[in-house]
Amino acid sequence: MVWEELSAARVVPSLEASTMEEVMEGLGTVMIDRGYAKDTYVDALVERERAFPTGLDINGVGVAIPHTDVSHVIKEGMAIGKLNKPVRFTLMGTDDETTDVSLVFMLSVKDPQGHLVQLQRILEIIQDNEVLKRLMSCDNAAAIIDVIKEKEQSL
Amino acid sequence: MSKKVIVACGGAVATSTIAANKVQELGKANGIPIEICQCRISEIPSNLDEAVLIVTTGKCKRDFGVPLVTGMPFISGVGVEKTERAILDVLNAS
Repeated sequence: MVWEELSAARVVPSLEASTMEEVMEGLGTVMIDRGYAKDTYVDALVERERAFPTGLDINGVGVAIPHTDVSHVIKEGMAIGKLNKPVRFTLMGTDDETTDVSLVFMLSVKDPQGHLVQLQRILEIIQDNEVLKRLMSCDNAAAIIDVIKEKEQSL
Repeated sequence: MSKKVIVACGGAVATSTIAANKVQELGKANGIPIEICQCRISEIPSNLDEAVLIVTTGKCKRDFGVPLVTGMPFISGVGVEKTERAILDVLNAS
């Protein structure tokens, strides 16, 4: 399950950032420091986000799922960042529409086929507007992990 | 004979894997054999041979001469049914 692999060390309940690049820097550094990604990860995330944005508008809640090429990844994982204030991201599939993102689910994907179930679970969490709202009201990492755990156990 | 569907995203990593699985399941549920070709959007031109449909989860404004359906709803969960109908319409017509 997703929550079992999520350690509090990769959940940032109050990420300070005012641009997409700062979000990548802040959360990407966590992934690098914890051994999930290589030093090139942050730059690769930014470059990838500019070319292929990952902002999503889930019925009014702005979410982003930044990720990048497997060559910058060491192992499969995810970091979650709850932003202190919304940051503008471009909507996936567009180059001119934006969404104000409050929650960031940063993925390090190494073997997509092998982790299809995990990827699908992450999307089921992200697609649930109620879960997103509850995540937005969490003020610490343990609470965020609990909400995800509860959602997964209901699947 | 199975129908070739190209499923593409920016890096052929996360989102196209999800979309490819959804398209495969959709085919199965409707008795349409599908051969998935998962690639990057930049690799679409070299994979067009015999393709009847392209599903992308990234921006793609080029016309490849093959019907293109956006697979973003598979990622956001918003508008999935409409997307599934659009995909089935193309598959049934091909």
